[in-house]
Amino acid sequence: MLPSGVFAETYAEDKRLVRTGKQRLALGVFLLACLLLPALAGPRLVAIANVMLITAVVTVGLQITTGYSGQVNLGQAAFMGVGSYATAVAATRLGLPFWLAVPVGGVAAAAFGFVFGLSAIRIKGFYLALTTIAAQFVFHFSVLNLPKSWLGASNGITLEPMTLGGRRIGTDTGIYYVLLTACVVMVAGAFGIIRSRHGRAFVAVRDDDVAAGMMGINVVYTKALAFLVGAFFAGIGGGLWAYYLRFVSVEQFSLFFSIWYVGMIIVGGMGSIVGALVGVFVIRSVQEALTTLGPELAEWLPALGGAVVFAGMNVLLGGIIALFLIVEPKGLMHRWNILKASYRLWPFPY
Amino acid sequence: MRHAHRWLAVLLVAAALAALPLAAVAQVRTLNVASLADFSGPYADVMKPLIAGRNAALDWWNAEVGAKLGVKLNYKAYDTRYDTAQVASLWPGIKSELNPVAVMGLGGPDVAALQQRLPDDKIPLLMSTAGYGYAWKGASWVFNPRPTYTHEMAGFIEWYHGKIGKKGRLKVTVVSSEASPAYVDIHKGLQAYGAQHDKAEIEVIMTEVQPTDLSAQVRRAVNAGAEAFLIPTNTAVVVAAKRALQALGKKIPVVMSSHNGLIASGRAVGGLAQMEGDYEVYAMALAVESGPPFEFYGKLKDKYGLKADWNVLTVQGIEQSLFVVRAIENAVKKVGADKVTGAAVREAMVTVPITSEATFGFLSDLKFSEDANLPTSGTVNLGTVEGGKYKVAATGVKFPPLKKW
Repeated sequence: MLPSGVFAETYAEDKRLVRTGKQRLALGVFLLACLLLPALAGPRLVAIANVMLITAVVTVGLQITTGYSGQVNLGQAAFMGVGSYATAVAATRLGLPFWLAVPVGGVAAAAFGFVFGLSAIRIKGFYLALTTIAAQFVFHFSVLNLPKSWLGASNGITLEPMTLGGRRIGTDTGIYYVLLTACVVMVAGAFGIIRSRHGRAFVAVRDDDVAAGMMGINVVYTKALAFLVGAFFAGIGGGLWAYYLRFVSVEQFSLFFSIWYVGMIIVGGMGSIVGALVGVFVIRSVQEALTTLGPELAEWLPALGGAVVFAGMNVLLGGIIALFLIVEPKGLMHRWNILKASYRLWPFPY
Repeated sequence: MRHAHRWLAVLLVAAALAALPLAAVAQVRTLNVASLADFSGPYADVMKPLIAGRNAALDWWNAEVGAKLGVKLNYKAYDTRYDTAQVASLWPGIKSELNPVAVMGLGGPDVAALQQRLPDDKIPLLMSTAGYGYAWKGASWVFNPRPTYTHEMAGFIEWYHGKIGKKGRLKVTVVSSEASPAYVDIHKGLQAYGAQHDKAEIEVIMTEVQPTDLSAQVRRAVNAGAEAFLIPTNTAVVVAAKRALQALGKKIPVVMSSHNGLIASGRAVGGLAQMEGDYEVYAMALAVESGPPFEFYGKLKDKYGLKADWNVLTVQGIEQSLFVVRAIENAVKKVGADKVTGAAVREAMVTVPITSEATFGFLSDLKFSEDANLPTSGTVNLGTVEGGKYKVAATGVKFPPLKKW
């Protein structure tokens, strides 16, 4: 809902993401805060932000596949892994620079995702979820069993730090700005995609694929495209991750992470790019807080035992997702939109 | 006037005397050590004895060695949840908060997240576990006090080959899994050992990480003449293999490592007596109630408030701290307490050997180099179960040299 008196007179205005002065101000302040973060916050927060930014790129991709297109995907971590390995191979074997190696990772992941997207043409729901889980295992076993000279097998692949314009970027602050730029570009790209005809086709297929087909949308193409785009985002995230850690190994992209990515879009809100970002922020913040609390809990309550703490932590994190599914299945963004609408309507009830 | 001079002299002497202890205090250099732990991840249940062992040994060193050297080690634990992303996000904060001269690592995620950063940060990561073929590197800042799991298992094969007086190759079956690259590395290493030496014929059985039944696979291996089963994975695999062997009525030794050893697997399988004739092998002290390691444990318990039972996890915690403090001690002796940095600790690591006596027999003699970040020669110890009791099978067994695989 737009504020009173704000309405679009042209198609371009209708497509605009930022429409009011207050929205422009809020976005400006947010971006400024992002730019100033390394100067204002300590290295720990910058490192947390780095992981969040990479996760955000991957999760936004999942939001396109699952949130916008309705294609259940439990293989996003595998797509990320493919991107990560492809980036590592491009950088170490082909000697490609950072700015080229990361997109290569994105393209490789998109190709891998497209293959699994083809299965979405015939199946949906539970069966599709199982197929995407297969992506996890195909990725895992392929990496471990292919010749060592290809993907390093159990050894993994190590990378040199990223360089841009001949400058080595090895500090957390330097990496933060690279990741922030990449994240902004990818999020802007995601907004562009969902506002395009492809985005509208995604939503139409999600809401009713039979009706979408009757309206002339190529459902087969749209479903496969949703996987391709989502996997491309995961691949870019994987490429950034490879350069962030400078070491790629198969266990960094397990099914466990895929489930967490789904959890993030559930908490943030399905079908919302900002929701994916909010989900990443909330879940990673809770994880970081629990990590900080871990040693304290172990010290304060030694009788509790490590196993109980571990179980408690996972129950708490899992409980957050379950709570959202029960209380607010549309996620935090839906709650925010209700709040915003109420504010704009006030003092009227509707 | 004379009175004034006298008072001035008294005051000066008093001030000098008062300053003496202050000067002594000022000479104590505090060095920080980061202790990576898993309080809320998959290994949270085994953290208590490991951390207790680590801390007590550090307290002992501060009181009995550091005090004489003018060094105090300040240590702080960080919860990594055994997660690579978590380690990556924690590390910059640890570095800025502590600026440690050494980091005590826990496992693979620490190595994955930090191995490429440490040369830039100039802080060595010191582990407590055995190493892997893929982590066996030159110019590394990650050090293992034990050789690779493959070396340790190969040590058992060599010993058992001699014990039973085997002519020709011993038929060994490795029960492994592709669930983790670490497991794959171990069985590939053992296959490489089989090719490099003439003591064993290695066969690998692949299973899930938590198998419920291994009857078919074990039966096939037994029919093919398996003389020992090596299980470097986890207790669930040991349980499944033991059940299969019991169902077949076969008594073939099962060999485990420290993380899935006789006590833990015995508990999982329903009693230590069921592990009769099986073995565990690793290059650190066995948790038997005699010898210098047990005496040192007793000292930590009596004087330094160690509240942990004498078991393999406590041993692992203590050996890791002893490994760390001896490396720091060597660095202090080499460059002086004032100049100790992470780089100095690493330099001491690759140039000054650590003797087994220095670790009270918790570890064998350790010698690192720019080419090897883990011991490539040394000995392993073997534990077994006899008459339902945990016993030493052999100590100081040399493990064979291996080429990288």
